[in-house]
Amino acid sequence: MSVKYTPVQWNRSKVFYDVVVLALVFTYVLTFVRLAPMFTGDVKSADGAIVGARAFGTCAFLMLTVILCIGPLARLDTRFLPLLYNRRHFGVITFFVALTHIMFVINWYFNFSPTPRFEALLTSNTSYFQLLGFPFETLGLLALFALAVLATTSHDFWLRFLGPRLWKTLHYAIYFSYALIVGHIAFGSLQSQINPTFTIVTAGSALLVCGLHLAALNRERQSDHRAGGGDWTHVASVDEFANGLARIVRLANGDRVAVFRHENRLSAISNACAHQNGPLGEGRIIDGCVTCPWHGFQFRLADGCSPSPFTEKVPTYALKRVGDVIFVSSKKNPPGTYVEPLNMAAKE
Amino acid sequence: MSTGALLIGLAEIWLYIGAIVAVAFLMFGIGRIDEDARGSYTFRPLLVAGVLLIWPIVLWRWISAELIGLDAVVSRDKPLRDAHRRVWIVLAVLIPLIFIVSLAVRQITPEPGRTAVQINPTAE
Repeated sequence: MSVKYTPVQWNRSKVFYDVVVLALVFTYVLTFVRLAPMFTGDVKSADGAIVGARAFGTCAFLMLTVILCIGPLARLDTRFLPLLYNRRHFGVITFFVALTHIMFVINWYFNFSPTPRFEALLTSNTSYFQLLGFPFETLGLLALFALAVLATTSHDFWLRFLGPRLWKTLHYAIYFSYALIVGHIAFGSLQSQINPTFTIVTAGSALLVCGLHLAALNRERQSDHRAGGGDWTHVASVDEFANGLARIVRLANGDRVAVFRHENRLSAISNACAHQNGPLGEGRIIDGCVTCPWHGFQFRLADGCSPSPFTEKVPTYALKRVGDVIFVSSKKNPPGTYVEPLNMAAKE
Repeated sequence: MSTGALLIGLAEIWLYIGAIVAVAFLMFGIGRIDEDARGSYTFRPLLVAGVLLIWPIVLWRWISAELIGLDAVVSRDKPLRDAHRRVWIVLAVLIPLIFIVSLAVRQITPEPGRTAVQINPTAE
């Protein structure tokens, strides 16, 4: 970044996104509170706090399911990319919905406990060595803690301060928190559900998330052009490059390189965006710059630098043409190194 | 002292230390290591909760950045290569397994036609 930090970088589309998410949450909770007692016979006479806890709990689970579907959907179909753009705000809202769920639970089930409420929550069930009656509360607490870390480190400052590698490693906790939440529901609420609806919804959601991630991995494996080792790596024939798009090649060391054709010139830059390591090779060229499909960060093709006033840089790679085949150097140039684009008409 | 009370006590100590780190880092450190934060104050309260939770990482990064500069500490061109694939190969097995095991130990099976019966109507 080379602009001063602001509390929230809202723009028109982000405001629209947030308003829609909040409206959907509001509608879901209201609908659940009204309709759920008709479907779940066991809460007909229950207090409103239980229904509230269930409304916010199921809402948080469904929101997390949607969040985890956005990534692979955007890889499989670019029409879903707009959903990815503001996913961090979606995640923060999900954390607050989950927090509301636990406040309902604490204030209902542990309100009159002789021990402090949080202590009671941690000590009321300690059957960790048996599956039946497993303390599902702990699974939920761990997931909430993970969501808290993600929500509180979602500001762009953290990306710059921690770097994309450590930031993403930290934020991979969302995947494990999803597994914890599935366990929390499966060993908690589903153990006493008479109506199978929520069991089916939970199973369907979890299978959808797993299936989409596996499908995205399969797509990546298929499109990943794996090349052999050596100083130069085979990319593709000259006529296989579409104007304005990239071919992504995976080097022997595991790095991915995006080789873009812009008009009749080819340039190679790292496939990992300097912002969040998004897949630059799946982006488009706008105003002569590669534009990351995730958040719109831009990089010039020849030197991998963001246009002024931004200061991000990505590594570049040398290209060469042998006959009709394009090769990329396996040696990465330091970020921001200028490399003369390869004229597609020129043969070695 | 119960395990729960011990855990809560440890969490409180963690948060107290985090509060000290947050005050020091957000008032003095952040502007020294990140030029984009200099003269920008309104976003800093948003970072407090994050520092409270991950203050050891903040301290480690802060000290490293003071010694050799933030850009030298943070590598921006070393992406995680196969982490996503590895994580989802594990989770694609683990998540269904959790679900199946939970259903296997369940003592009530779904009965779509069954309706709730109130045992003691006068209890309300």
